[in-house]
Amino acid sequence: MNNKLISFHEVSKIFKVGEENFTALRDINLEIKTGSFMSFVGPSGSGKTTLLNLIGGLDVPTSGDIFFKDIKLSSLSRNKMAKYRRENIGFIFQTYNLLPVYSVYENILLPLLLNGLKENTVRERVIDMVSKVGLLDQIKKKPSQLSGGQCQRVAIARALVKDPLLILADEPTANLDSKNSLQILELMQKLNQQYKAAVVFSTHDEKVTRYIDREIGLEDGKIIFDK
Amino acid sequence: MNWDIAKKNFFRQGLRASLNVFVTAFSIIALIFMLSLLNGFQAQATRNVVNTDVGGGHYIAPGFDILSPTEWEDHTVKIPKSLLQLDDKDKAEVLVQQGQLYPNRRLYPVQIRGISMNQSLLKLPLDNLFNFQKQIDDLIPAVIGGKMAKKTHLNKGDILTLKWRDKSGAVDAKDILIVDVGDMLNPRVDDGVVWLRLDHLRSLTDRAEEVSWVAVRNYVGPILGFDYQSVELLMADLLSLWRQDRINSKILWAILMVLVCISVFNTQILNIFKRQKEIGTLMALGMEPKRIVRIFTLEGALAAFWALFVAILLGLPFFIWFHGVGFDVSHLSESTLPIRETIYPDYQPLEIIYSLVIVFVLIVTAAWLPVKKITNMNPTMALRGRAIK
Repeated sequence: MNNKLISFHEVSKIFKVGEENFTALRDINLEIKTGSFMSFVGPSGSGKTTLLNLIGGLDVPTSGDIFFKDIKLSSLSRNKMAKYRRENIGFIFQTYNLLPVYSVYENILLPLLLNGLKENTVRERVIDMVSKVGLLDQIKKKPSQLSGGQCQRVAIARALVKDPLLILADEPTANLDSKNSLQILELMQKLNQQYKAAVVFSTHDEKVTRYIDREIGLEDGKIIFDK
Repeated sequence: MNWDIAKKNFFRQGLRASLNVFVTAFSIIALIFMLSLLNGFQAQATRNVVNTDVGGGHYIAPGFDILSPTEWEDHTVKIPKSLLQLDDKDKAEVLVQQGQLYPNRRLYPVQIRGISMNQSLLKLPLDNLFNFQKQIDDLIPAVIGGKMAKKTHLNKGDILTLKWRDKSGAVDAKDILIVDVGDMLNPRVDDGVVWLRLDHLRSLTDRAEEVSWVAVRNYVGPILGFDYQSVELLMADLLSLWRQDRINSKILWAILMVLVCISVFNTQILNIFKRQKEIGTLMALGMEPKRIVRIFTLEGALAAFWALFVAILLGLPFFIWFHGVGFDVSHLSESTLPIRETIYPDYQPLEIIYSLVIVFVLIVTAAWLPVKKITNMNPTMALRGRAIK
């Protein structure tokens, strides 16, 4: 069975910084399998976040092709790209990116509403997800009333609730203390096993490497190891 | 669902949304207030000229030109029956002659205006003239306006010499008594004008039943031996000033609109600027760009609606109150504008509706434009908060 989820073929990404060109990724060839639990590691500026953005369809490569299963992402229109993200990708950001005026419940509910589901049909699912990330007693609170760790749990729940094939987590532990970081990683590992969604981290947090199955090292936009 | 999200976003923004609404509401109130005050000023000044001089038009002696004082004596005619039979509330007979006044040993050229005392068409402060009982042989009663009194340093009760020419061209002079210094409102009937009773002036100049013009309430058709001058013609200078003023007011309106625009754009752009990450997050969650634009535009529409509502809520009592107290412009007494009493705003519904519609469209555009720009860009730019700078 072909369990290839994402594949990169000679992908490069060049940013224009002022008058200069900055090459963030150079000729990347890569495959991500369904259900994997992996990370991109490397120093700042090595291209980790750019890789995640390309996988998530938030950005497009300057050259080369990215495939989601057999679909070439660069051939998708803006609306189809939005649909691709909506149905297949869950994002977890370093700064959580929760919607400030929404409660925990509403933040987690939103991706389901965007997928055309009615609130009354998914209420239990959302509450169950809130319960899984241990925030049932905080369900009515707004992000501003939560700690960093709690916000990241909400972000995880929001990413997982729609049952995506792939979760992209950009430095999810960077803003958390050690204790919270470990709790988040354990939670994500558990949910990865439970939901079978592939989880791809970008991180330079060494704690993460203890949990993952595969680690891809990046430096100056090139893959320097894949283990 | 778009509406639910927009509503939730708007109502839960708290202070930010309230500030946005209040800034816009106050801008709307200021805009309507300024425009209405200007309208009120023009309407009131026009009314003053109509009430004190023009009436509904003049039947004027052929050849008479108010700007040619040396020819005034040559252009007076007997009032025809058709005008004579008009009711006193519908006509005012006026005889104008050139004269010289000698206040405080100075010579002051004046326009001697005789007006029928029974008329009630023109509102002039001439009661003391009407009530003066002494014989004309002793003293000629006269009324002057406040502006004239100030210029000539004359007061009520002063006696001074007035010189004129009678119908046969003979120069005559007599003492006049200032029986009142009236508040004329209109400089055209104040500055350089000495008001006499029509019967007195006719007697002094030997012009029985003659007039320079007859002001009427309404046009009564062509009259042989008289030219009719309409309100528009008689007020041509003022209307031209108003037209220029309208252009100025349009410029003022445009300036105010620009200020409102800047204020609205500033708050809206700042709002969107602060919410770039939120827009980026919605894009990352898979919301279509068009839908994001729709939601934020709906939020803008909600802000506009509430701004209009608050403007009505706060503005209406203010406008009603201000319509009662008005705006004191007594400081304009030195100007040549025919107004010096309190101005009351004149609210023009159509103008207000135009302004409100423009502000509404503006707010919605201000909400639509930056979001449209953001959603056209790469979502990563929005997520980094760099889509608009």
